[in-house]
Amino acid sequence: MKAVILNGAEKDDRDIDNISTIISSELSDSGFEVQSLDLHEMKIAYCLGCFECWTKTPGECRHNDDAREVVRQFIQSDLSVLLTPVTFGGYSSNLKKGLDRIICLISPFFMQINGETHHKKRYDSYPHIIGIGVLPEEDKESERIFTTLVSRNALNAHAPSHSAGVVLRNQESETIRENIRSLLDEIGVVQ
Amino acid sequence: MNQVKRILLLVGSAKQTISTSELIGTYLIERLQSNGYETETLFAHKLLKSNSWERLLSSTDRADIIVIAFPLFVDCLPYSVIKSLEQIAGHRQAKSELKEQTLVCLANCGFPEQHHNDTAIAICRQFAREAGFKWAGALSLGGGEAIGGQPLFKIKRTTKNVMKALDLTAEAIALGHPVPQEAIDSMAKPMVPKWIYLLMGGWGWKRRAKKNRVLKTILHRPYEG
Ligand SMILES: Cc1cc2nc3c(=O)[nH]c(=O)nc-3n(C[C@H](O)[C@H](O)[C@H](O)COP(=O)(O)O)c2cc1C
Repeated sequence: MKAVILNGAEKDDRDIDNISTIISSELSDSGFEVQSLDLHEMKIAYCLGCFECWTKTPGECRHNDDAREVVRQFIQSDLSVLLTPVTFGGYSSNLKKGLDRIICLISPFFMQINGETHHKKRYDSYPHIIGIGVLPEEDKESERIFTTLVSRNALNAHAPSHSAGVVLRNQESETIRENIRSLLDEIGVVQ
Repeated sequence: MNQVKRILLLVGSAKQTISTSELIGTYLIERLQSNGYETETLFAHKLLKSNSWERLLSSTDRADIIVIAFPLFVDCLPYSVIKSLEQIAGHRQAKSELKEQTLVCLANCGFPEQHHNDTAIAICRQFAREAGFKWAGALSLGGGEAIGGQPLFKIKRTTKNVMKALDLTAEAIALGHPVPQEAIDSMAKPMVPKWIYLLMGGWGWKRRAKKNRVLKTILHRPYEG
């Protein structure tokens, strides 16, 4: 099984790098082959909103940049971990520059899920998603927004299952590890 | 003597043709212009491309009202807008004193149900809280592609509720009031029936693909492992 960690931290964010290492080791222990992408290092253009990745070069964005690696790793993994400093309840700009470019992975055509419109699948299978947000201190509203956002993304990205949670910068490594284990348990890919 | 009030519109769409965000944002600030406001428009993607964050920060500092008009991207704000908000929040959190400034957001999404915008609007509210803005509220529009780059007054039959929502919002915020519920409800009304929007949308993708000679491969999977 393959997992990719999309790390939306700023450069030199030691806390998040440490959390990323814990996630990697937990995933490896659970039998995943892990790839980590540090998005702050990647050259990724903003999405123009032109939809040519659906109507001109189907399945592929016109920009040939590092987003192609994000897209490839995302769709070829069994599990995608979205790791980010919680930013106003949502994702950091570093993570978002990668995520804005994954719409080439779905079909332009519409379907209904629970009476709501979404796009149909382009591929047969999509990764499970775990969202891990990092906060400096407890903030219930930010946490609520973050977990909702991850579940909305999971729905649009056809994730077979998902989980999301928040860890704190000053938490002991052992507590962070336990949180990550329970997020992994929740998605149910690990025996 | 009354000082001139300033309004800053930050557009979050990078479309190369005129976007729904720009059209609804411009309509709103033009209404405020006729109430004596001085207006300025910035595009988040242009600031990002030229790394012009100083420009954004000084325009934000000068403004009394900031309007952010954006398309929903992957259930939240586009990358360039988040980057702009990070810059503004960092700048304001380093200040010891902040004047009272109001934030209004205009969200539009592609799916016909406007509630897809809810999470993005919650993020804007949280940004207002963290960056010390007075939150005036947001308008949420579904099926945003129905505007199709047309000035709102040119397609009145489609946009009458949108214009009403923006008129009511302009009136309210000029008086220092929050976005009224009546405006929120008016913006939430579908511009076209859902089934027509979806039918036209599906045809639209096919028409564009056909023009580009890729209709047969529209579901191509270049990343199949
Ligand atoms: C990268 C990308 C992601 C999008 N994600 C969503 C989404 O999650 N939900 C939705 O309803 N529409 C989504 N859309 C559609 C846009 O929100 C919609 O086309 C909008 O009307 C564009 O507004 P604009 O003209 O201001 O750019 C997405 C579009 C793009 C290009």
